[in-house]
Amino acid sequence: MLPVIDAANLSLNRREAVGIVGESGSGKTMLCRSLIGTLPRHGAGIVSGTVRFDGQELAGAPERVWRGIRGREIGYIPQSSLAGLNPVLTVETQLVESITAVGSLSRQQARQEAVALLEKVRIPRAQQVLKARSHQLSGGMRQRVMIAAAIAQGPKLLIADEPTTALDVTIQREILSLITQLRQELHMALILVSHDLAVIEEVCDNVMVMYAGASVEAGPVAALSKAPRHPYTRALRVSRVDRAVPGQDLEAIPGDAASVGSWPAGCRFWPRCALADEACRRDSQPALMPIAQQLSACIHAERMAELEQ
Amino acid sequence: MMTASPGSLADRTLRLLRHPVLRRLAQAFFVAFLLMVFAFLLIRLIPGDPAMILLGDEATEEDVIAYRKLLGIDGSIPSQFGRYVSNLARGDFGVSIRSREPVLSIVQKRLPISLWLTVTTIFMTVLLALPLGVAAALYRRTWFGHAFQIGASVLVATPVFFSGLVLILLFAVQINLVPIAGYHAGFPANLYYLWLPALTINFVLVPVLARILQSSIVETSSEEFVEAAIIRGTQGWRFYWRYLLRPSLAPTVAALGYFAATVVSYAVIIEIIFNLPGIGMTLVDAVRNRDYPLVQGIVFLSGLLVVGLTFMADLVNGWLDPRAKIR
Repeated sequence: MLPVIDAANLSLNRREAVGIVGESGSGKTMLCRSLIGTLPRHGAGIVSGTVRFDGQELAGAPERVWRGIRGREIGYIPQSSLAGLNPVLTVETQLVESITAVGSLSRQQARQEAVALLEKVRIPRAQQVLKARSHQLSGGMRQRVMIAAAIAQGPKLLIADEPTTALDVTIQREILSLITQLRQELHMALILVSHDLAVIEEVCDNVMVMYAGASVEAGPVAALSKAPRHPYTRALRVSRVDRAVPGQDLEAIPGDAASVGSWPAGCRFWPRCALADEACRRDSQPALMPIAQQLSACIHAERMAELEQ
Repeated sequence: MMTASPGSLADRTLRLLRHPVLRRLAQAFFVAFLLMVFAFLLIRLIPGDPAMILLGDEATEEDVIAYRKLLGIDGSIPSQFGRYVSNLARGDFGVSIRSREPVLSIVQKRLPISLWLTVTTIFMTVLLALPLGVAAALYRRTWFGHAFQIGASVLVATPVFFSGLVLILLFAVQINLVPIAGYHAGFPANLYYLWLPALTINFVLVPVLARILQSSIVETSSEEFVEAAIIRGTQGWRFYWRYLLRPSLAPTVAALGYFAATVVSYAVIIEIIFNLPGIGMTLVDAVRNRDYPLVQGIVFLSGLLVVGLTFMADLVNGWLDPRAKIR
């Protein structure tokens, strides 16, 4: 058995927007999949820990319970959702199917509802798109349809797993602002996964930073961007392209991200950390501890100033 | 992105000509033409003079010339071909040397039996392979999946003349459920004679088709859109039919069209084992008697049937899987 995530903490209130940030392989997607109960498809499972939604315990819940959650309570925009539409079915078939999963609507009503959904995600010529199949739509269009399908049943929580990764920059902006608007219109909570801290700062209230299957820092977006209390969060911030100064080398995080199955002993970030000392190598992965306005899993959280030189 | 505006008449005509169905139809006609040429060459490529072979050493020069005329192998090759094509166009496939009966009327008498065998076989194939393939895909990691793999390999490797005899021994001799051989025309009475031969052919077809279906379902199940559907909360028959089965059917239907075609060639063996007076048996007799016009006619007409069946499978596929149309 290979641990993929072993120290992740995430909680959010109604209507709150939380971002999850981290490098590829840090366990962001697996964490989200565990919130929707589709881990077994990836040959994985929850060994310990809890997943609570509206006071209901979901970890280890039977498939019957999950069916009431997926789509209805939690909407999910999967990663690489460019391939998320069934190529042999029309958009209409797939939307109507989600709509009629709750309540009993006639075909005609469900169709109207589908048009309304497409208009809600700002798709022009909704009637035509309804008749289209995946290969007839552009990437941005497909992503909008996926969003429409995710909100079709009026979920309380929307999980968006890197919703802009495969899109070009202008479309990325549109999709992000669409998600923000929908969240406000429909009073949804949001979990936004991204490897781009800038995206999360724009959309979310709070953020959780993941590294090698563990939460390393969590707190309000403003606090983490102004005064990060974990060397990894700081490294993510300073390596951002939009902060680059012309003529100066962009600061990069030294070394490679710890991959699943070969996490270092001690704090998992120590091989890449300037603050690392004997204690970091010796002790196990530190738990999140409150410091300033946030939570940090660094035993040297007080010494962050040293990194600025 | 969407269909463009109607445009001029020329544009529309051009688009119509590019229509996938028309393109496939054109392909089918091309194959039929090749088939026609092939059937024509069949007699001409056989070493020696068929007329001489048929008449023997004692034949007079006049007899041979008359016989060549009867076979349509007198004159130059291009003029022979011209006559052959114009005869075909008029529905004249020549006359059987043996019985002096027109080839077309022989085929009309015998082909329905083989067609019934084909239809019964394919119906049975679908009925057996579909649930088996789905089950083999869903339970592939259980004992059932392993048993299926082994059983399928064994059945595919078993020749039909052997499994046919075993089935006759079992069903006709041991438990007397069906006649050992023979045929009576007329639906549904003929099914009584046809189901065992059809089952025999299916001993080969079903394992192959079920494995094709199994592997395409397994492939489909790892597609992004399948997980996306689960995540949206799609469940029940809708999930299995729309997201697993339908996107997986294309290779299976294509194979089914091809299999329907192979039944025609299986018919040669099966009809002899089960003594069904179909086109396969007629073909074997015709070859044995060196009845060239009859062989030529059967090869062409049963080939035409194969072309038609493949075309139909393509049409069904276009409807099932819109991706097939854009390729």
